[in-house]
Amino acid sequence: MKNKKTGLVFFPAFDWAISPTHPEREERLLYTRDQIFEEGVLDLPEIEEYAPRLATIHDIARVHFCVPRVQSQVTEAHLIAAGSATLLADAIVYGELKNGFALVRPPGHHAMRVVHGNRGFCNINNEAILVEYLRRHHGIKRIAIVDSDVHHGDGTQDIFYHDPDVLFISFHQDGRTIYPGTGFPSELGGPGAYARTINIPLPPGLGDETFHYVVDNLILPILKDFEPEFIVNSAGQDNHFTDPLGSMRFTARGYAEFTRKLNPHLAVLEGGYAIETALPYVNLAILLALAGHDYSYVREPEWPGSMPENPEQVSRMQRLVEQLRSIWENRNRVDLDKIFGTGPFFQRRKHIYYDTDYIEEEQLERVRRCPSCPGYITIDSRADHGYGHPIRVFCVSIPFSACGACQTEAYDAYDQAKGLTQYQFVYLQDKSTDTCLAFDRDKGQEWVSEGPKVGE
Amino acid sequence: MYIGIDVGGTCTDAVLLDQGLIRAMAKVPTREDLLSTLLEALDTIMQGVDGELVERVVFSTTMITNLIAEKKYDPVGLILMPGPGLNPSLYRFPTDTHIIQGAIDYRGREIIPLRLTEVDQAAADLTARGYRKVAVVGKFSSRNNRHEKEVAARVRWNYPDCHVELGHQVAGQLNFPRRVVSTYLTCATREKYQFFVHSVQEAITQRGIKGAIFILKADGGTLPLESSLDVPVETIFSGPAASTLGVLALTPPGETAVVVDIGGTTTDLALILSGQPLLASRGARVDDMLTHVRALAVKSVPVGGDSVVERVGKDIILYSERLGAPYCLGGPMPTPTDALRVLGLTRLGDVDRAREAMRMLGTPLGLSAEEVANRITTRVIETVAREIEGMFSQWEQEPAYRVWEVLQKKKVRPSTVVGVGGGAAGFVSQIAARLGCYPVIPPYAPVANAIGAAVARPTLQVTLRADTEQGIYIIQEEGYQGKITERSFNEEKALELAKQWLAKRAARHGLENCLEGLEVTRREVFNMVRDWVTVGRLIDVTVQTRRGILYHVGVGRDQ
Repeated sequence: MKNKKTGLVFFPAFDWAISPTHPEREERLLYTRDQIFEEGVLDLPEIEEYAPRLATIHDIARVHFCVPRVQSQVTEAHLIAAGSATLLADAIVYGELKNGFALVRPPGHHAMRVVHGNRGFCNINNEAILVEYLRRHHGIKRIAIVDSDVHHGDGTQDIFYHDPDVLFISFHQDGRTIYPGTGFPSELGGPGAYARTINIPLPPGLGDETFHYVVDNLILPILKDFEPEFIVNSAGQDNHFTDPLGSMRFTARGYAEFTRKLNPHLAVLEGGYAIETALPYVNLAILLALAGHDYSYVREPEWPGSMPENPEQVSRMQRLVEQLRSIWENRNRVDLDKIFGTGPFFQRRKHIYYDTDYIEEEQLERVRRCPSCPGYITIDSRADHGYGHPIRVFCVSIPFSACGACQTEAYDAYDQAKGLTQYQFVYLQDKSTDTCLAFDRDKGQEWVSEGPKVGE
Repeated sequence: MYIGIDVGGTCTDAVLLDQGLIRAMAKVPTREDLLSTLLEALDTIMQGVDGELVERVVFSTTMITNLIAEKKYDPVGLILMPGPGLNPSLYRFPTDTHIIQGAIDYRGREIIPLRLTEVDQAAADLTARGYRKVAVVGKFSSRNNRHEKEVAARVRWNYPDCHVELGHQVAGQLNFPRRVVSTYLTCATREKYQFFVHSVQEAITQRGIKGAIFILKADGGTLPLESSLDVPVETIFSGPAASTLGVLALTPPGETAVVVDIGGTTTDLALILSGQPLLASRGARVDDMLTHVRALAVKSVPVGGDSVVERVGKDIILYSERLGAPYCLGGPMPTPTDALRVLGLTRLGDVDRAREAMRMLGTPLGLSAEEVANRITTRVIETVAREIEGMFSQWEQEPAYRVWEVLQKKKVRPSTVVGVGGGAAGFVSQIAARLGCYPVIPPYAPVANAIGAAVARPTLQVTLRADTEQGIYIIQEEGYQGKITERSFNEEKALELAKQWLAKRAARHGLENCLEGLEVTRREVFNMVRDWVTVGRLIDVTVQTRRGILYHVGVGRDQ
């Protein structure tokens, strides 16, 4: 790791916005650019800036079921953001870089497996695309994603809920007080991936000190046990004390210290909308922390000095840390049948709201409880756009390490759904062979997309 | 008539252009005494020409480059206001540095006030240590120069003999450490440069020339000699700019070409993209310090005609150093020039000695002289060709911050390889073949640099930043901060205002006639939205006079 550099892709998408006055607009990283350029950090020998790259449509299809097609859900900006993450990951895996920071827009951690539109400012999930890319192109299996955005990373959670090889840890402002209203300690993953999802809701107003208590006593020990080959940080910055959407009290230095302790291979920017008071400083501090430089001189102008914690909140957090730690430590001893019931499938119903596009989605997700692999997943999804007929689709996902039986069953399920008239579109993604299929009922047509073979 | 003079490290080249045709050229050795070198060059080309007929003289000089390389400049102390951000100890500047309180943010707002007692202390300490020159630089000072001005006023008041240089006046671009270095070097070389300018003016007057005198900058533009007094550092590395512009003048317009200048120990590469010399995306590196000086994207490869070649085991290896002349010219070691001689690609030197050099390398390997010569030339060609490919891919890899910029990136490859410099003839056709290009060795290639200087256009630039929420605008190059009074101030008005400032600047430098065909090189508008309401705009506009050359040589003046 010595002497290697920190890679940066800075892609502020200065010509892309959700709408002119939306928080996710051209101006968002403008002051971050000014700060990073003025500091001269890009001249530091430990930091190297890379030009962004576009992800391929197939990189997206490997993760998401975009309705009706990938092209209808993503803009070039999305492809650039996702592609920048995979570009840095390539350089890290090849040993050119020790770590990287994809300081890019638009963000992605609210994008779930099925994509009917934009939710929480996200269309496609940059981290999930990265994970499947790492598996396909570099054979990296065990990956941890730690989400430090003030909002629960519900999209990432959704995608890896049944994946035992991806550890997803999200800490965020308590879902009862902020979008998307999820991310409670009881959400721990499906039967095949129990305790591979860890949610740490934080009471509003919590500051650096208790945050770091959680990092030191829960997040780092769990990571150590899990022994991931690759660590991704969903680096949202809206826990900052000046963020207009969140109510937390983290500082730039608190974020940097977290970055240093976590020591991720790749940090990917997520939310953070205090574009003047937080982002220039938090982004700079994170970049310095990744590069192994002193970040203690980075201080936001509005920094009020010390911010005392509420002792009641602190003891509540201590209890939560204890509780989650014991769940983690006993994860292999729990009776899964007691939690998830018995039978060949585990199923859950989900109601998903797309706040940006005003879409209501109803899902029935079923996962095959397979003794020899994580099991394939089927999703029956119905989306109501508020106009016209609701759109109904059926999706089948075969995991990367699927067994032969699951693969066969999954293809059968796909073929069967193709014959059912209620589904306008039927999709299959076979991660084990990197093949994606999409069937359009009205046209009677099927599309096939195959990724490049490993090494290509 | 136009005169171009390129003062290089070993040779000073001069040309006299008349109606777009070369009337006379000279190559004289560069001596310690610059003035006499210049006079000799002038006298050689001006035989029988009346000085009054010369409309324009352009110099390109290594004077400041050498001064800095040899550290022959004046000591300068630094007073810096870095504010919050990087640990200031990461900035390692080669002189006494005082860090004082005070900070400005990215929008030019004061976030930490100055403390005048600290200013006094710093100035007292620096003067006590004997500094008579001080550079004062603040982070984001180009967004608000108030702190720098206050510190400077204070230092000047207390120490009237002290020369104070301000960061925002030297370099307005973002990048604080580079601004510090640029300001430091400007401060350090200003006096010596003044001396140089005066002696040049002296020489010109002595020869009865009444035309305008210009100096070439690293970015390939020229400045009136008098105006360059404020920006001595911008004259560094103008040599490569001179040869690139020379190639531009000697080849058809609109080409995408690589300029390969093969010298004794190095090969300089520069790119011309669709008839425009490529500028480096970041400022030049001077004596291992990063500056804000805008320069052409030039790459120096440590391979040349005199590079030492040796046999190591079964390999024939090319070294970057020079141990004297090529063997065929009486030197001690085999060189690429010897290889060219054996292959009949040059007429330099003695062919028998060249063969002997090749045999010295080849005999233990059982290779004939021709085989060795082929190996060496292939190696040189391969090294240079790879560097050229690297330059193009590096250019493609420049970061892009907008979607359209990412999407419009395309692979560009040169169509011609243009050779200048002593070693060009032997190698250029083979380098071109390797890259699938046409080789060109233009006539007058040996004095392309002087030709480039002669025809380089004057360049002026104005960068305006307006912040309509705060109701202020800044003219970066002038260090001017003004108020926006109009309520309907917008992008168009910002552009108009920038053009007015450019005209003002041009008038001050006596360059009113170069305002035709202005180029807008940057145009950025950001709406500032607070709580879902647009509260103002940030507008950045850069306008500049046309870059490039006044006309193509041999074709005549383009009117």
